[in-house]
Amino acid sequence: MISETQRVTSDLGIAIEARNLKKIYHTKKRKGLFRSETELVEALRGVSFKVRHGEVVGLLGPNGAGKTTTVKILATLLIPDEGEAFVEGYSVVREAVEVRKRIGLLLTVEKGFYGKLTGRENLEYFGALYGLSGRELRERIDYLMRLLELDKLGAVDKLYEEYSLGMKARLGLARALLKDPPVLLLDEPTLGLDPPSARKIRGLVRELAKQGKAILYTTHNMFEAEIVCDRILLINKGVIVVEGTPQELKAKLPKLRTINILLRNGSPEALKKIVLGAGFKPSVEVTPEGLLQVKVNVQNPEEVLGDLVKAIVGKGYDIVTLRISEPTLEDVFIYFSQAGDQ
Amino acid sequence: MSIKDIIAAEFRFVYADVFRRKAVLFMFIVYPYMLTAFILLIGYSMGSASVFVERVGIDPAIFFIVAGFTLMAILGVGDDLLWRPLFDEWMGTLPYVLASPVSRIGHYLAIPIPRLIIVLISGSTSVVPVLVCYYGLQGLYEGLAIIIMTGIAALMFVTLVMTIMGIVYGMGGENWRIINVLRPLFLILVGAYYPRYLMPLAGRIASWIIPSSHVIEAIHRMIAGLVGGPIDIFMLLGIATALFILYAPPGVKSIVYWEKSKMKEGVSV
Repeated sequence: MISETQRVTSDLGIAIEARNLKKIYHTKKRKGLFRSETELVEALRGVSFKVRHGEVVGLLGPNGAGKTTTVKILATLLIPDEGEAFVEGYSVVREAVEVRKRIGLLLTVEKGFYGKLTGRENLEYFGALYGLSGRELRERIDYLMRLLELDKLGAVDKLYEEYSLGMKARLGLARALLKDPPVLLLDEPTLGLDPPSARKIRGLVRELAKQGKAILYTTHNMFEAEIVCDRILLINKGVIVVEGTPQELKAKLPKLRTINILLRNGSPEALKKIVLGAGFKPSVEVTPEGLLQVKVNVQNPEEVLGDLVKAIVGKGYDIVTLRISEPTLEDVFIYFSQAGDQ
Repeated sequence: MSIKDIIAAEFRFVYADVFRRKAVLFMFIVYPYMLTAFILLIGYSMGSASVFVERVGIDPAIFFIVAGFTLMAILGVGDDLLWRPLFDEWMGTLPYVLASPVSRIGHYLAIPIPRLIIVLISGSTSVVPVLVCYYGLQGLYEGLAIIIMTGIAALMFVTLVMTIMGIVYGMGGENWRIINVLRPLFLILVGAYYPRYLMPLAGRIASWIIPSSHVIEAIHRMIAGLVGGPIDIFMLLGIATALFILYAPPGVKSIVYWEKSKMKEGVSV
């Protein structure tokens, strides 16, 4: 039975709705040969959001932020301790079978298929579990193999154990799309992929959203989130710290701009101390070219630039380039993650 | 979705696995012979065949070839069910299986069928030729009867194994290791190599609660010529069926319990 509230939710074009989801994991930690202690890990601390049809919503956050836990709850693979979640108006706890009929799932691209079966056989197997059979299943598999260009890669009748990571990711997405579900839950679908495969998957995700599918897309990759997602939920330590379109999120930074300085020599630690000493909060990294990169977020770069440069050059560092830029999504991510930590 | 489609999917899974790993297929054919040869070698070096016939009532070569075959079928069903959740977890396929709308009970009932069919067909390379060598045309009939009864014995094992599977995996953690203890116990108590009427009382009682053991006793009685009439075999098959039905409700509940506890702790990716 669908309650009245749920029907309304579904009628408004909301495909996924999470309301105040909370989850605590109980993990046993060995303390000796016969002793163990139960450790509580708060994975979600009240997560609420909505995803509409035709929308790609990115769930962005550092490791252990609660991204996969959220996806698992929506995929009926984990029961939340508190809160509710609905997919197309069906409760993920009370009406799990109805939810399962409506979702396509991709959890990790590295595994998830049987090694001794070919790509086609694997899809035939899971197609049968998803209620497809006969000609309908064969045609759907042929279509998906073409769509994901697995036929061009010669992967259709190749054993899964011989697949490259890119092929595995494409096959994973093909399985998620097997029953043409209205809702897709994709957990880091491009993690570790070569650029062509990642680009193919990103393009396809945008295309699927245009067809009206609701897509929840978790990623670490800021660039990807910016080009794939219509909306982004930034999650940290089990809480959504900020949400909005990529542009809205950048605008939410308190009018900060970034001074970006590349330096030729010196140690990152010493440089960090110098910049801290001058009254700035820097992030210091070594670039792949071996240069030092200092980033400082400030409201008035023109006014403070002189002091900053003086402090650095005064200690014998050579400046290679200096640039003042608008914040990137990465800056937003770092800013709000740190805010969440505090 | 029909149970037919699920069984077809399992056929695809098992057949691709078996026929691509020729060693597995080879073992299906060779295993009963290997085991028979091994046991007979030890047996003949320590005693005589006539003593065995006196105690068990069956020629040792026939007894052990039948034992190897029936045990392979019964333990095959047990292994398919007992190890499948762990296998799926290692392969990373478990989340996708559990997130499918398929009936869990239907799926787990379908899992052992394809491999069982291969094992039963392999009876034509072990049990049937040996019995034909010994008894001619009569051996052919007996061989076919043994294959059918072995199929029944293996299927009778399903509900008990489902019950155990659900409990063991439902307890979570490393409790699946209990299977490593239970498996050799089943190997003995099912009575294929160790006829129930030779077991001590405790063993006989434990054996009695395994549905398949009654069918195996029926097979032994048939090849030993101990059948007083067809009623004997039907009575044993009746007991096995009754136990099979008795284990069905806990089997279903146990699978539900496992799924629920998996959802509670979270299916690992």
